[in-house]
Amino acid sequence: MSNQLQPNPRSAQPVSHHVAIQKIQRRQRIVFWCLMLCILAMGLLLAVERHRERQRIEALAEQMPIDAPTAVAETVTLDLANDQDGTIHPETRQIALPQAVNARARALIDHLLAEYALPGSAHSLPPGSAVAEVFLLPLPVMGYVSDSSSSATNTAGYRATTPVPPDDPSALQPQHPGGELAVIDLRSSWVNQHPSGVEVESLTLRSILGTLHRNLPQIEQVRFLVDGQARETLAGHADLLRTYPVRDATSPTGGEEPKPANP
Amino acid sequence: MASSLTPSPIPAPIAIQRRVIVLDPAHGGSDSGAQISDTTVEKDVTLALAFRLRAMLTARGFTVVMTRDSDSPASPAPGGGSLSLNDRAGVANHAHAAACLVLHASSSGDGVHLYRADLDAASAEPSVPPWLTAQAAWIPQSRLLQREIAGALMRSSIPLVVGAVSVRPMDSLTCPALIVELAPADEDADSINRTDYQQQVARAIAGALLVWEGQVQAPPQRSGASVTQATLARHSGRTAVQP
Repeated sequence: MSNQLQPNPRSAQPVSHHVAIQKIQRRQRIVFWCLMLCILAMGLLLAVERHRERQRIEALAEQMPIDAPTAVAETVTLDLANDQDGTIHPETRQIALPQAVNARARALIDHLLAEYALPGSAHSLPPGSAVAEVFLLPLPVMGYVSDSSSSATNTAGYRATTPVPPDDPSALQPQHPGGELAVIDLRSSWVNQHPSGVEVESLTLRSILGTLHRNLPQIEQVRFLVDGQARETLAGHADLLRTYPVRDATSPTGGEEPKPANP
Repeated sequence: MASSLTPSPIPAPIAIQRRVIVLDPAHGGSDSGAQISDTTVEKDVTLALAFRLRAMLTARGFTVVMTRDSDSPASPAPGGGSLSLNDRAGVANHAHAAACLVLHASSSGDGVHLYRADLDAASAEPSVPPWLTAQAAWIPQSRLLQREIAGALMRSSIPLVVGAVSVRPMDSLTCPALIVELAPADEDADSINRTDYQQQVARAIAGALLVWEGQVQAPPQRSGASVTQATLARHSGRTAVQP
């Protein structure tokens, strides 16, 4: 009997130990859930920052002259030249283009001229990067003169300027509101390799103008530079000093095909 | 300033010399033009074609004015030097010719490429045409001449490409003006030198010019007063904005 009334130290120890474990586990659970919340918050923050960084890089990429990998391919029409019969014919291509208009113009011209560098091209041109840059100027192009009077000069010595319209009222006027002049700066390394001849040079220019006309209608006129400088001809013939109107290039005479008399 | 811009009496337009043809063999001297083949350069082809065309035209009673009849053209200006593109246009414009043919050669394509200036046609010729667009008033005549010569070349079974291009000094010519670009007769680039081929082309063009002689007309002249007033207004405007 007395044996039955003695407390069992081994049985009492597990009870107190169980309670202690329960107390520790509760603290641990709290810490655990706090840590989990921190981890989730950090994960969420990381995802948001990653998304922001991706958007920033995409925006930067769109501002670069030639960029397309992040863009979706779109259908464009290239006006391709043929030396044999002197014609231009349109062909569609799937090309990824950047968003900015000047970058699109440059990418279009680069794709067009790259086609001519392929073996078997009907208008064979040298390979290599042809366009250094494309600049867009809103039409009409205005000049500026500085006012030399003392009242128009500030303390820093800068003079006020007055916009001046072009001398020729028929020149460099937009056909439609928002019309632009594209200045295409070609690389001399490419221009110096261009074949010489009236037909072959004119077809290259018509092909560029026609492709711009089809895909970027806001470009109404084009001027060409070579390494940032005015140059008389492309390869001894086609005039590079004039301003070219951008129009349909598939008609050899701008829609006025002469018919032979008394064939 | 205004007194210096007082209009001088405007001379009456000089009549077209119907029996005068200007031939401009492009390039020459240090400017060889395009490399046609390993042994042929453009300046030699254009001069050879010009000689054959001159013979054909002279035989038909035309007077032929050539901007060069040797490799290196000499400038008529005091001091000499080589003939610039503007000099060539000046020679052509002073002849008041029925037609001005600028001769080129190329290894691309075959047959003849026949081009007029790529300018919008003007309805009339001002008394003082702007140098860089002087051809504008003559575009309708140049188009008719292009049609006449194209028909003759097609009747001669010569492959033909017609069009409009911007090649100096075409835009500055005050006559019915065309570029005649000779390409090889076949796939051999040196076929461009064949005598029979060049004679065939020259014969067709000379025949067309014989018909053209009776058709050519000068463009209507814009009234001198209105041109002068417009010119004065533009001069005044430019003066007003100068600093």
